[in-house]
Amino acid sequence: MSETKNPLGLSSIPSVSSEGLVPVGRRTSLRSYLGALWNRRHFIVAESRAKMSSSTRKNLLGYGWLFLNPLLSVLAYWFIFGYILQTQRGIDNFLGFLVVGVFFFSFTSKCMTGGTGAIRSGASMIKGFQFPRAALPISTVVRNFLDFMPTLLVMVIVLVVVPPLEVITWRIALVVPVIILQTLFNVGLACFLARLGHKFPDLTNLMSIISRFWFYGSGVFFSIEDRLGNHPMLLEAMQYNPMHAYLTIARNSLLYGLDSDPKMWVVGAVWAFGLLIVGFLFFWRGEENYGRL
Amino acid sequence: MVDFELHDPTIVAENVQVRYTVSTNDPSHRAKGLRRLSNAIVGRRGQTTVRALRGVNFVAREGEMVGIVGANGSGKSTFLRNLAGVEQPDRGRILVRYQPLLLGVSAALQPALSGSENVRLGCLAMGLSPAEATEAFDYVVELSALGAAIHRPMGTYSSGMGARLRFAIALAARPKILLIDEALSTGDATFAERSERAMDELLAEAGTVLLVNHAAKVIQELCTRAVWMHKGEILMNGPAEAVAEKYRWWAWNVAKGNEQIADKLLHDVVSNAVREEIDVLEPELIKNPIPRHAARRRKKLIRNSRHVKRRTSSTRIGEASSSAVQTDKPQVWPENLDIEVPKATFPALPKPASQTSNGPRSHNELPPLRLRPKDSKVVLRAENPEDRASTVAASDDLTGRRLSSRAREMAEDRYQLRQMRRSDEEAGVERKRYDSVPEVSGDTL
Repeated sequence: MSETKNPLGLSSIPSVSSEGLVPVGRRTSLRSYLGALWNRRHFIVAESRAKMSSSTRKNLLGYGWLFLNPLLSVLAYWFIFGYILQTQRGIDNFLGFLVVGVFFFSFTSKCMTGGTGAIRSGASMIKGFQFPRAALPISTVVRNFLDFMPTLLVMVIVLVVVPPLEVITWRIALVVPVIILQTLFNVGLACFLARLGHKFPDLTNLMSIISRFWFYGSGVFFSIEDRLGNHPMLLEAMQYNPMHAYLTIARNSLLYGLDSDPKMWVVGAVWAFGLLIVGFLFFWRGEENYGRL
Repeated sequence: MVDFELHDPTIVAENVQVRYTVSTNDPSHRAKGLRRLSNAIVGRRGQTTVRALRGVNFVAREGEMVGIVGANGSGKSTFLRNLAGVEQPDRGRILVRYQPLLLGVSAALQPALSGSENVRLGCLAMGLSPAEATEAFDYVVELSALGAAIHRPMGTYSSGMGARLRFAIALAARPKILLIDEALSTGDATFAERSERAMDELLAEAGTVLLVNHAAKVIQELCTRAVWMHKGEILMNGPAEAVAEKYRWWAWNVAKGNEQIADKLLHDVVSNAVREEIDVLEPELIKNPIPRHAARRRKKLIRNSRHVKRRTSSTRIGEASSSAVQTDKPQVWPENLDIEVPKATFPALPKPASQTSNGPRSHNELPPLRLRPKDSKVVLRAENPEDRASTVAASDDLTGRRLSSRAREMAEDRYQLRQMRRSDEEAGVERKRYDSVPEVSGDTL
């Protein structure tokens, strides 16, 4: 490199034109960010599947655990809540009630804890190469969704096989929109918590407690209307709990063949789309900070 | 040798500063008073600020392969991470022509999966589409030369085999700017050969490679230019041979415990070292240098200020360099400073018609440089970060074919040159070995 030296010993790189150069690693506009994220969809899916299969390959039973795990947990919950604690008073088909509650809720709670730690657990990837960081929380949701599918299958088998038979109507098909709404809700939640969790790593400790609180507050193994009858204020507030809405709709359509309150649908949809937009925008605004840990 | 000054810059780093706040258990950094109590409660001892980069100015151009040498902890890896954009500097800014690719695929790979599955995963991670990934598969397998091992789980690979696979995947993404952080040191001789050829091809296609390596010899052989980093600053910047030689001499002395010689050497280098300054000219400035009062756009700036806020750091730099230009000292340096240089007054030259503005203009001061990056003005050629800018000429049209044949030619030239140099060296080494062997055997006997 030919350097021009002046008497002060200052060598100067001749002026460089910045034409055609762009700042690196800056947050891009929302549209191109979404475009980049869309181009990454194959990677997100491939990565989730790779993580899933590499975690199952270590076990002797391999994919079998995807079915065995939920089956055993149904057994455990039934034993404790149904057989020992006898919480089923006033609930028809308690086993079905419990199974639907536990599985649908654990899908969201796993996304919640996974999303909080998404940035931290993906730190090596963030340092490794450039990609829209929203891929990380989204891929945790995708992974949990893939885990949820065999669970759903187990659930259906259990419900069909075990005695108190369900009322089967066309409303079973309503499970599909419920799952879609819940997944959108989870994406928003994971994105929102991912940025919070990156800023305050202590949140991971708090998350298990919040998740437990939410678990009991959503009526997973008891009916809220029954228990909170003498706390009308609390009952009113619980009506706006998105998880309660999803669980109620799922149970009504799967177990009892009933039409759900339209208010439930509204609550569920507003939460799903609202949190998706808010959470994603919140995450996108912090895009440049995730490289620092 | 080609004069790289003439080529377009691909990376411009301007006054890049990075600092980390980390916890330390150094007793001298212990906090006092209430702070200490709160620290004791949360279980940490004290905190200190590490300045990883202290104002690095750096320009790399097309077709250049720049080596970076320096002791451990001198900020080389931090610099590369900032160049790749995975981390943002605290101050200063980095401009690139294409998205640089850090050789960091390993993060996306799963040790439990087989090599071939990982090739696909890695290609997708590098931003290839599934169709491109299938296309690139053969290239990766050929470059990594893993043979049947490609079907075994990656966890069973040796470190060298893993490094080969990672390098091959990164190159399959056909990056224009490749940043390599001590990755090639584990490959064996056959792979070194193949990887060098692959990099030559990349360079010939107007790419840029930055290589961090501790072996000064590798830098000397491969690179056109080298940079010596020390404690977060660039000490030396020049031809690879000279810089690597100096660095090697310094490192050798430190290793031998000749602190004085090493310190003296460092002192020499530092006193000769020059803090390089970069003037980054905004396209706006080149095209129409309008005076500031004419270019004021208050309302618009306020509306955009939410996005501009983050760039306050770069604004500061802009001001600093503009003040350097604005001084009324002459900009042309005379041979010797003894002569009293008359204070320069800028003559009112007739302006070319294209530059004249109707507003009043004082001739005593230069139009201030407006180096503030403007959202609207910076030409976003690679607005889409996914754009690897490899699609300018398709491989099958005439331009593409001509370009690729030219690229192959250039790669071949570089290869021949290096082979020649190497064979010369080897001849020298051989001779030396013949000289020294009898002595050694005599000793042992």
